Amino acid sequence: MSFWNLMEYAAWGLSAVFGLYIVIDWLKTDATYDEEVLTSSREGELEAMVEERHG
Amino acid sequence: MAEFDITSKTRDGMGPHGTQVGLLRVLGPAHVWALGVGIVLVGEYMGWNFAVGKGGAYAALIACWLAGILYTCVAMIDSEVTSTVAAAGGQYTQAKHIVGPLMAFNVGLYLVFAYTMLEAANAITAGYLISQVAALTGYEGELNQKPFIVLSILFLAWLNYRGVLATLTFNLVITAIAFTAIIILFLSTSGVLGGSMMQHKALFEGAAALPYGWIGVLAAMHFGLWYYLGIEGTTQAAEEVRSPARALPFGTLAGIMTLLIAATLTWYICTGLIPWEFLGDGTNGSVAPLFDAARLTGSQPLVVLLGVGTLFATLASANGCINDASRAWFSLGRDKYLPGWFGAVHPKYRTPYRSIVFLVPIALAFALGAPLDQVITFSILSGLLGYTFMPINMILFRRKWPMDSIKRGYEHPFHPLPSIVLLTLCAVTFFAVFLGYGTQLVAMIVFYIVASLWFHFWRYRFVARAAQFTMPWPRPKGY
Amino acid sequence: MKYAPPKQSKLSQLFDVVILMTMTFGALYVPLYMGLAGGAKVEADPAKLVSFEAMGLNATQTAQYQALGFTAPSDIPAVFARFDYAINWGALAVMIVVIIAYYALVLRFSEKEYRDVISEKFGD
Repeated sequence: MSFWNLMEYAAWGLSAVFGLYIVIDWLKTDATYDEEVLTSSREGELEAMVEERHG
Repeated sequence: MAEFDITSKTRDGMGPHGTQVGLLRVLGPAHVWALGVGIVLVGEYMGWNFAVGKGGAYAALIACWLAGILYTCVAMIDSEVTSTVAAAGGQYTQAKHIVGPLMAFNVGLYLVFAYTMLEAANAITAGYLISQVAALTGYEGELNQKPFIVLSILFLAWLNYRGVLATLTFNLVITAIAFTAIIILFLSTSGVLGGSMMQHKALFEGAAALPYGWIGVLAAMHFGLWYYLGIEGTTQAAEEVRSPARALPFGTLAGIMTLLIAATLTWYICTGLIPWEFLGDGTNGSVAPLFDAARLTGSQPLVVLLGVGTLFATLASANGCINDASRAWFSLGRDKYLPGWFGAVHPKYRTPYRSIVFLVPIALAFALGAPLDQVITFSILSGLLGYTFMPINMILFRRKWPMDSIKRGYEHPFHPLPSIVLLTLCAVTFFAVFLGYGTQLVAMIVFYIVASLWFHFWRYRFVARAAQFTMPWPRPKGY
Repeated sequence: MKYAPPKQSKLSQLFDVVILMTMTFGALYVPLYMGLAGGAKVEADPAKLVSFEAMGLNATQTAQYQALGFTAPSDIPAVFARFDYAINWGALAVMIVVIIAYYALVLRFSEKEYRDVISEKFGD
């Protein structure tokens, strides 16, 4: 098997590693935390904080 | 800001609106520059040369500068609005506050598609480049590009998933290298150092300079956008920048200047070395023009340098695109414009992780299944629709909130001139796309019309009304 | 009166994403499959593709092609195809109408929704 054939397999392999890492961590995170916490981000935080400071 | 540190670890993530897990504010102006230029610089390494094909060498230069004016207007307008409306989602959030929800939904989709298609185009180029390297190093067979396309997308998605600071620091480094590579190529071929290799005179002879006459100049505007497409993405970082009102205008305007230089140098180098027919066909001819230019110099170190530059530019761009597309998708989800499930932030990495994951297979589908100029046109059209929205946005912004009614982080001069210039150039570009790619344009707009009807008559019912207006502004004038 | 949006079920959320994705892929692949996509190009005359001289290229241009590794234009015929910029006025009119109609539609509906938002946010 030539160097570049090897590289093709290496690329597939690494892709699988990165892909699996993401998917596993994603599923784990979804299972560990409450949906309310995960989706609690709200827009306009900075502005509200600056207002708070002035007020 | 001494008494109130918004980067504080204890404050952050416990915002006043009940945010328990929010995006992390860690970025500085250099990251904004890296995000903006990183996405775009690949445009000099591939894609812009379709403009040469559509109109010839001079047409590509005129298009480069006209598009430069267009983007200067974009940057001015964007800097003013973003320094005032600082939220992830960028233009989407602007549209929501200034024009209205349906416009915002459309703008959000423009952003996601412009960036995801660009990401796909980058991955295609990276795969192509690696196959070229394989061929140059004496590999006999046909290299399978697919694993490399998949790997570049998954690696960058992983990087983005793990956190924004590392992602954009990585971008800063590889973008700087790619930019330096262009400068070095220019210095060593133009005659500044050593003899000049430029053959503009002979290469422009006959039909080469303006093969289609003046209509070709108009037609070239289509891909002229590609020199800069994506610079407006800097606004997506607004929720992750430590000081948005300062860092965003600075990073964006510095980015435009970098790109004007890089674009002009690239044009000069490539048209002086590569015959226009070959240069102008980015699918069958010169896929990576700067790399081809380096090959024509016959210098091995330059070939390696520009090979690395091309690879880094594609990776930097894809990386920034994943960042921007996922921020836009996340914002749409957070407001329930899209299913709220996407509005989640990773509690540890503080990234919009579900949006990042979701967009991966879509980018893969386009990168593996569609031809490059198609994907680029899809991306350019989404970008163009967005630029057409900007002047409307700016004019309404100044009308609804006149200068003294709210505090602006940055005020751009000569209003409404930039808006008018931008609108005019957009009209020209629509015509340019029509020349050669008209069907694609109409198909695209039909898509947005259908999506708009779907949003207005179905999706919008899930959106809370007043809650989406989050800026602490007074009531808009005239409402 | 404050508008209270209904809570969307997981299944319905999934369904919405599927619809949006179908539209997206449709917009890219339908023109592709119908063969309508891509630049409208005219092939070069095969008789001229035999040599760079016949294509009308000068010595420098020919030398650069040879340096890139091509011996004759017929190695890369697609590169020598040309765009056809004859303007089809009917098609141009259709495009202009579609673009204007699109923005008119979006701005009109947006305005309606926006007035709603403002009156709920700031009161009547």
